[in-house]
Formats: sequence, C-alpha cells, structure tokens
Amino acid sequence: MNLLEALIFSTIEFAPALVLGTLGAVISERTGVVNIAVEGMMRAGAFAAAAAALVMPTPLGLLFGMAAGGTIGAIHALLCVRLRADQVVSGMALNLVALAGGTFLLESLFSPSGTPPIEQLGRWQIPLLSSVPILRALSGHSWLTYVALLAPLGLHTLLFRTALGLRLRAIGEKPAAAATMGISVSWLRVGAVVAGGVLSGLGGASLSTSTLDRFEHHMPSGLGFMAVAAMVFGRWTPLGAFGAALFFAFGNALRIGLASSIPQISEVIPQGFLLALPYVLTLVVLSVQRRQSDAPAALGTPYQPELR
Amino acid sequence: MASSSPWKRLTGLGASATPSVLAVGASLLICFLAIALTKNDFTVAVEAYAKMFWGGIGDWPGWAEGAPFTALSRPWGEAATKGGILLLTGLSVSVAFAVGLFNIGAQGQMLVGALSAAVVGAAFQLPALLHLPLCLLAAGVAGGLYAWLPAYLKLGRGVHEVISTIMLNWVAVSLVENWLVVGPLRAEAEGSHSRSGTEEILATAQLPRLLGEASRLHLGLVIALLAALGVWLWLTRTRFGFETRAVGLGPEAARASGIPVQRRTYQAMVLAGSLAGLAGALLVLGTEYKFPATLGAPYGFDGIAISLIGLNHPLGVTLSALLFGVLRAGGTHMQLLGVHKSFPELIQGLALLFIAGRVAWEAYRVRRRKITPLPPPGEAASDAPAVGV
Repeated sequence: MNLLEALIFSTIEFAPALVLGTLGAVISERTGVVNIAVEGMMRAGAFAAAAAALVMPTPLGLLFGMAAGGTIGAIHALLCVRLRADQVVSGMALNLVALAGGTFLLESLFSPSGTPPIEQLGRWQIPLLSSVPILRALSGHSWLTYVALLAPLGLHTLLFRTALGLRLRAIGEKPAAAATMGISVSWLRVGAVVAGGVLSGLGGASLSTSTLDRFEHHMPSGLGFMAVAAMVFGRWTPLGAFGAALFFAFGNALRIGLASSIPQISEVIPQGFLLALPYVLTLVVLSVQRRQSDAPAALGTPYQPELR
Repeated sequence: MASSSPWKRLTGLGASATPSVLAVGASLLICFLAIALTKNDFTVAVEAYAKMFWGGIGDWPGWAEGAPFTALSRPWGEAATKGGILLLTGLSVSVAFAVGLFNIGAQGQMLVGALSAAVVGAAFQLPALLHLPLCLLAAGVAGGLYAWLPAYLKLGRGVHEVISTIMLNWVAVSLVENWLVVGPLRAEAEGSHSRSGTEEILATAQLPRLLGEASRLHLGLVIALLAALGVWLWLTRTRFGFETRAVGLGPEAARASGIPVQRRTYQAMVLAGSLAGLAGALLVLGTEYKFPATLGAPYGFDGIAISLIGLNHPLGVTLSALLFGVLRAGGTHMQLLGVHKSFPELIQGLALLFIAGRVAWEAYRVRRRKITPLPPPGEAASDAPAVGV
C-alpha cells in the first residue's frame, strides 16, 4: 500500500505544471490560435517567479511568473492575431527566445546551473484526509497544487457554461459567423492567448516554487510539449486535457518510482520506453480516431475581416 | 529568368533579402543592449561582440600582429563545423516547406541519423572510401525513414505534421538517449572505468580534415554545400522539383494538372528527413566521433530559424547557416566575459521572431492595397502551410 500512496503523492506533486500548461494551450487553441509556445511560456514563468521570490514572498513571486508567461502570450497574440503571422513559426520562435534568453539571464544574474534556493510555497495538511490510508497522499501539497487541480473545472465551466465561453468557442469554429453577432474576434483571441500565457506561466512557476525550490537551467525540459500532447490527447477539452495530464504525470511518477524502488525493472522495461510512452500513445490515439478531427475548425487560420 | 536582366535579378534578390537582413540586424542590436544592461557596462558588450565576431571569422587583428595562422584557421573550423550542420537542418526544413509541410521533426530525424552513423562507423571494418559514404548513407536513410512516418500519418491518417513531428522528436530522444545509448548500444567499459555514449567510430569513418592539424575544418561543410546546391538544382531545374513546389503552392491545382500529389509529398518529406539525418552524421563523424550520452545542441530546432531567416531558398539558407555558424563559433569565446555560449541562439530566436512579424506585416500591406478578395479563409493560400490539426 505504501508504494501506491507514494505513487499518488508524486503524481499530484508532478501534476500542476502539466495541468496548468495544458489548460493554457486549450484556452488559446479553442479560440483558433495554435499554441506550441507553452514550453517557452513555462520557462519564462518558472524563471521570473524564482527570480522574484528571491526578493519578495514567494506567493508574490508567482504573480511575476504569471506576468512573464502573459508577456510571451501577448507577443504571440500580437504576431498571430494582429500581424497574422504563421502561428507555428511564432510559437517556435518564442520557444527559442525563451530557451536562450532564460539561459542568458540566468548566467548574467545568477549562476549557470540555477538560481539560489527560495522559500518554497507552504504545504497544506488537510485535517481529516491526512489520517486516512491512501487518501492521505492527497494531503501535504502546496496550495498551488490544489489550485491546479481545481482549475480544469473552472475552465470547463467558463467554456461550456457561460456566454463568454460560447463566444470563445465560436471564434475558434466560425469566426466570421461570430463576428456578425458583434463579437470582436481579434480582441477575444488576444485575451485568450494572453490568458493561456498566464496559465502556462503559472504552471512553469509551480516547477520552481512548489515542485522544487529554485529555477534550474533546464526547466521545464519538455514539459511544455508534453502539455501540448495532453491537450491533443484530451481532444481540446479542459477536462479531457486534465485527464491526459494526470495520466502522463502518473506515468512519470511510475517511471521514477519504479527506477528508485525496484532498480532491476529497468533491465526489463528500459526507461526510454516509459519516457516515450505519452508521445507514442498520443500518436496512436490521433491516428486511429475517426477522420473528423476534434480540433477547432478555424485553428491556425488568421481571421481576415476584409474577406467577408 | 532569361527575360530579366542580371541587374534586375540582383536588385530583386536584394529586396527580398531586406526583411532578413533587418531582422538579424535588429536582433544583434537588441542582444547587444541586453549585455550592456545586464552587465551595466557598455564596454563589456563591445568586447563581447568583438570576441564573438573575431571568434567566428578568425582573429584577423591578432594575425596582422604576427599571431600564427591557427588564429584564423581554428575559428574557421569551428564556424564551418556548426555552419554545415545548421545548413543541413535548415535545408531539411525548407525542403518540407517547399511541398507545404512544416517539419518540426528535424531534431528527431537528426538524432536517428546521428545514431545510425555512429553504429555503422563503429561496427564495420572497411576502407575509408567505402566506410565514410556508407555511414552517410545510413544516416540519410535513417533520417528519411523517420520523416516518412509523419508523412504517412498526414496523408494516410490525417494527423497534422506539426503535432506528429513534435511527438516523434520526443520519441526519438527517449528511445535513443534513454534506451539505446545507455543500454544495448552503450560502449563497453574499458577495464574498470565505464564510458558514456556508443563505441567510438573507426578512423576510416571520420570526416577527413581539410587543413590538417591547423583546424577542425572538415569535409562536412563541403557535403552540406553540395547538398544545398543539389536541393537548389532539384527545386528549380527539374520536373520533380517543379511539381513539388506546385504541390506546396496549391495541392488542389497540382492534382488537377495531373501531378501525383501524394508521391511528391512523400518524396519531399523523406528528402527533408535524410538531410536532417546527414546533419546528425556530420556531428558524429566530424566532431564527436561517437554518439555521446546526450546530443545536446538542438540543431534540428535551429533549422526552423535558419530556413525561415533564409526565406526557404537554398541560397538564403546557406547564407543564414554560415552567418549563424560564425556567430555560434564566436559565442563560445564570450564565456570568458560571463555571457553564456548559447547567446547566439538568442540572436537567432529573436531574428526569427522579427521575420515572423515582418513577413506577415508585408503580406498584410499587400492585402490592404489590393481590394480584390482572396480565397475564403479555409483555403487561404499563404506562403507557409495552414496549420489546422
């Protein structure tokens, strides 16, 4: 039983970055803007939060992480919505800038390997749960983790239960039709991309303030791309993406748990297989699904009002 | 081509290159300011840039004052090594663009290419005249096969290539670096101390150096330049190349005029993959001499920047690859001043960002001038493929 508890614990410990990142991708892509810049947004968020937390309380540092992610989102929005640049190019460019820029700032301001340690976010012990076997694995995480676990429900409610959500989805499916209803396609898209950046930035910040206690030079080491995979796996819905993110996080916890508790297992199942699994599964699911894709119809297409 | 005068063609080239030149210039300037601001010292930035340039094109001032020839040839070797790899991954991305696909998977294709070159280079005992080409061939075939997969997923199963190549990159990293290189293909321990990476390749598989001991300049750059020439000839001087570009510009029109769209797409994507695979071979056969524990540098992702800064034209790609090869070779010298050696990658990323905005801005202005409506958004023909998934 102890192993199961440890697995659940580390799954939840690992989840917030992936969950918030994938939600950031979902909200942006639901409005029709491709977002493969999640990796860069998470890196910016992780760095800014850790750097800010060195001089102020860590929760305030999170705001800087969100702002940094939001800034990358704003650049992405400016390029993709206003200038109608190619959305994949813009995303990859932002990833490259965040990767090299983060390394540059880290080396200039701190040391090449990472920032000095900061005060980690406080951990919550849930009073009743912490004495129940198995379920006590749910207790003892930072409050940001619980925020991340509730966020998918929030985004689901926003997208599928509110008028704003209906509009957001409408501009991702049929922007021209939405525009005839008096909806500003451009501004809603900008808002969604920036919000996605803020979410991804917070996800990155969770790595450096909650999962660990400092920014390390390789963060987020591909988690942003895994978040994009989770979004596709979850068919562009907040709850689906959440499920996929949890599943990937569990896979990761299982891999690390197995490697440390039963080292012999890596003789039978190499680490690489388990690492590749989320991506292989996403590819398999994509290629066996019915031809009709679940992606928003207008995904990747800039909206051009003059063509109406 | 024949109808326009050489002068007109030259000015036309200049005009189309302007956005790239401006983008690179602007990002050089911004990055200069970034050093000056973070170091709080203007002179450090000047010194760092001087180190970067002389470290890439050769220390000419030092040489003029009597430093040995190696002050020039060493930097050349480093710049050529990096430039050659960047050129091949850049060509990979631009060949895929030509047929209308976005190859984000050059990194993964490069990885499997590098591994194949390392395995063939270590496993066979052959004369150099056979061994080296065999290694290059293995890398090209492996990269090509790995790129065939996203093409099949796209054409056969409707999976968008941007998503599939991103996934395949990570599949390649996981399987190669976390399984093969640490498992079945790991070099055997020599006595008591274990070795990382695969077995070293034999001397017959190494890319020969062109200047002997004076420089690491090796045959790789020549291979890359020949590849660029080949891609240019193929795209502009052969029927297959023409048909490939036609598919990229408008698959429906191409199909209607009898071009085998699927076959051209497969061919272009496999070619793109083998170019990326060759880049991996250059890395292994030219500098590493084995597949190291981790390949590190994301040259495959850089290829996207190199290709777009070079406007997806073989000549432009060559120029931008050489430029960034020079900057990167010099970048390692900036380390002395506390600037990370990945600094040129920041310049490159920013330049790509400017290109993305710049190209779009120009298209936007052209659109505004023309009142005639363009095709509906769903089928909008843009210079890059539409990216619905």
